[in-house]
Amino acid sequence: MSLQNLILNLHKFWAGQGCYLAPTYDVEVGAGTMTPDTFFRVLGPRPWRTAYVQPARRPTDGRYGENPNRVQKHHQYQVIIKPSPADIQGIYIESLKACGIDLRDHDLRFDEDDWESPTIGAWGVGWQVMLDGLEISQFTYFQQAGGLEVSPIPAEITYGLERLEMFIEGKDDIYDLQWSDDVTYRDLRLAEEQQFSDYNFNRASIKGLREQFGLAEKEAQQLIEKRLPLPAYDQCLKCSHYFNLLDARGVISVTERVKMIAQIRTLVNQVARVFVTPAAGAEGAV
Amino acid sequence: MEFLLEINVEEMPLAHVRTALEDMTERLKKELAAAKIAADGLRTYSTTRRLIFTGDLAAGQPDRDELMTGPPKAAAYTADGTPTPAALGFARSKGVDVSALQVVKTERGEYVGVRKAVKGRSTADILAAAVPQAVLSLSFPKMMRWGTGSLRFSRPIRGFLCLFGGEVVKFSMEGLSSGDRTTGHKLHTPEEIRVRSFEEYRTKLRDLFVVVDAEERKAAIQAQIKALVAPVGAELYPDPALLDKLANDVEAPFVVMGSFPESFLQLPIEVLSTAMREGQKLFSIVRRGKQLPLFLGVADVVGDPKGFIRAGHERVLKARLADARFFWEQDLKAGLQKRAPRLKQVLFQEKLGTYDDKAQRLQKIVAYLCGKIETCKTAKELGVAAGLCKIDLVTEMVREFPALQGTMGGLYAEAEGFPRPVVRAVAEHYLPVSVDDPSPASLEGAILSLADKLDSIVGVVGLGIQTTGSSDPFGLRRNAQGVCKIVIDKKLSLPFERLLEKIINVYGDRLKLPKAEILAHLREFFAGRLRYLLDREGIRYDLINAALGAGIDDLYRAYLRAKALDAFKSSPQFEPMILMAKRLTNILSGQMASPLNPDVFVEKAERELYAMFSLIKDNVVPMIAKGDFVQAQKIVFRIQPALTAFFEKVMVMAEETRLRKNRLALLQAIRKTLTPIADYAQVVVEGEKAKK
Repeated sequence: MSLQNLILNLHKFWAGQGCYLAPTYDVEVGAGTMTPDTFFRVLGPRPWRTAYVQPARRPTDGRYGENPNRVQKHHQYQVIIKPSPADIQGIYIESLKACGIDLRDHDLRFDEDDWESPTIGAWGVGWQVMLDGLEISQFTYFQQAGGLEVSPIPAEITYGLERLEMFIEGKDDIYDLQWSDDVTYRDLRLAEEQQFSDYNFNRASIKGLREQFGLAEKEAQQLIEKRLPLPAYDQCLKCSHYFNLLDARGVISVTERVKMIAQIRTLVNQVARVFVTPAAGAEGAV
Repeated sequence: MEFLLEINVEEMPLAHVRTALEDMTERLKKELAAAKIAADGLRTYSTTRRLIFTGDLAAGQPDRDELMTGPPKAAAYTADGTPTPAALGFARSKGVDVSALQVVKTERGEYVGVRKAVKGRSTADILAAAVPQAVLSLSFPKMMRWGTGSLRFSRPIRGFLCLFGGEVVKFSMEGLSSGDRTTGHKLHTPEEIRVRSFEEYRTKLRDLFVVVDAEERKAAIQAQIKALVAPVGAELYPDPALLDKLANDVEAPFVVMGSFPESFLQLPIEVLSTAMREGQKLFSIVRRGKQLPLFLGVADVVGDPKGFIRAGHERVLKARLADARFFWEQDLKAGLQKRAPRLKQVLFQEKLGTYDDKAQRLQKIVAYLCGKIETCKTAKELGVAAGLCKIDLVTEMVREFPALQGTMGGLYAEAEGFPRPVVRAVAEHYLPVSVDDPSPASLEGAILSLADKLDSIVGVVGLGIQTTGSSDPFGLRRNAQGVCKIVIDKKLSLPFERLLEKIINVYGDRLKLPKAEILAHLREFFAGRLRYLLDREGIRYDLINAALGAGIDDLYRAYLRAKALDAFKSSPQFEPMILMAKRLTNILSGQMASPLNPDVFVEKAERELYAMFSLIKDNVVPMIAKGDFVQAQKIVFRIQPALTAFFEKVMVMAEETRLRKNRLALLQAIRKTLTPIADYAQVVVEGEKAKK
């Protein structure tokens, strides 16, 4: 089964569970969790079901296309089901079967791994799902986002698409995966990995990135004051991306990391607050 | 009758399972004890998906007679003894004939009443309330909610099986009703089963490959491991914490052995075992201390007939090891020393500068420490190590496996041909990471670790950043405990105040607070950490106070004083000596110091006390200097009979000033000899406790 068929199977399965299939978001993010389709939808009381593919950029994971397992951009399949149903683990297991995995011959484990994203003030409780020692998904009961308690509680399932596909195809090299029947992952992504690795690690302007971080931070602040949480949040995502690039350039220490993450989190928490409390007379939150 | 409760949950971590079993048992026992039902025999079992409680309990509370009183006698009967409507109404309300009423005397006068046999509540009824109560009372370090519910628990609860004497104990919480059913293994044998007893529960689950006893699973894992490693003449690289975790995590333990390409054996064993343990939770296999290209994994399955699980682990491990080897080679190629300039770009703390600044400070601090520690003969090597020790933070390997910081620095230093003392100092300078960790084995490691930890503590405290309650972002408490542990383990007597002052000077104008204020903060901070460590060793708080009261500038000596007090606390001389010391303190309070003149003594008892004191003093002073407080205490305790005789026979507050001053001077001299051993007045003795 090709990667694109895997995506189609997951789409079909989760659409069958009542999920709205969201388009991929168009701002760089490090994880599917960070896109507005998750971040804003888990806030507030309204039940919500969504599923989507989201490219996740992690500059430090780049390996110039030379490592068979690591890439600076991979693809996540993100599912949010709110509130979490009682048999959500069972539904997840069914989704794996729908992808053609016969679990009778394998060891599937829900291994303690509480998820936390200090950048967006979010944390949850859950597991990494291991299939014969391979981490294929992250399974989380969201407890907080943007520094706010969420209620009802959403279940978040994030599949690592490349990982899962390598398992399905039995391949050892990510670049050997079939995206479709006649296009390989190599065809699509190798040049991108080579060039972006060079950019992320060696070329990105440190001074420029610090400036852009500062500009986006200021912009976010202004937009929060204007009570425009949706565009403000985009600026927070940009801050996060510039931070990740600076990190790949190796210029952020442990303590500076804490400080910059706190800067972004403070903004994101303000965004969340503005989002859930519409100004008097304004239209309700999305 | 038998009680059986299974709380069915989504996968709970081991630490939470342990807490739940303990706290729930305690809570159930308490609730049952309050209802007068003995519950000593409660046993617990568990898997990551089941919390199980079982044991024999009495069927119910014993029946008892209860006296219920009604209206006063005067209102209950007319003068001729006819029952009034009040009496009739009371009898009716209690369900008895009016003739059954009797007159009872109470403090308030005579009343009518009725004695009635009351049936005890059944244990099932009590359990139906107690079990949900107990579940609600459980608390975990991190708690969660799920769905639309409000219950906070470790992980979502998915069902209750609750039986007493084979019948369902009915209750419901969070939309779940208790029943007599559970299911087998979630993935491999998901059949529903119905049970009447624990034995049936255990047997039926075993038929579905679920073993409910963690100890039994652990034994099964160990037996399977043994059977796999024995034929290859190897043994497991022990990892008890991993074994406990895996025994919790699987319901159907099945051990898989696999291999990885021998070429990876060129990696250090520390790297190999870390790469295997983290992520895939695999055990390493060794033969005579040497790593073999094999691993053991514990799966939650009935078997692996097609070898998919083994092959899956092999593929993942190969990729991880390939990654580790890539890091190892990259790091070696880049070289440790050559990367040193990169530390200039890595901030240690915004105001305290970069790691390069820190490395420079460490070089000065280790030089100072080396000068203060006689046994240190490697000042030059330590200086080199101080410059190198933080560079591994910018290596690929430490970026990937942060737990290997320090270890990698040591390995890379070794690969670059640095001498042994340098390598060990770098490798060990983070130890101990927690108080349960060992201190550095080498003196060089100990000195560099002290320098690093003290540098961080002084810097952060010097900026006025408070460490309070739950907030300790820089891990200062852990660092300070490490400092205490190292000076204790390595028997290092150091003048702390001067050392800290030296470090403050090394920081120059980077620190915000004035020197005196920083030192005051640090004094209190270190006293608190030493107190914590002594408390962990089970030493009484008042003995700790007495030991620290005698001075904390030298942490190691303060520790030795506490240990000496602890060693004597049960000796017969202890209490009389403490009382004597307290008497000394009381009598001397507010007295001016006076000169001692042996020629002024007139009484026999005071002469004898002086003679005894002179002898003891000569012996004890060198003991104290050596830090042998046990011996010193043994000797000073010998003064007690002479001191007692003195107090009995001699009038201290004599009328004659000359005599009085001289007697006080003798007592002052004795006290002065005692104070460096302990501030005995702070010890609480039995008599005092009773008074309080």
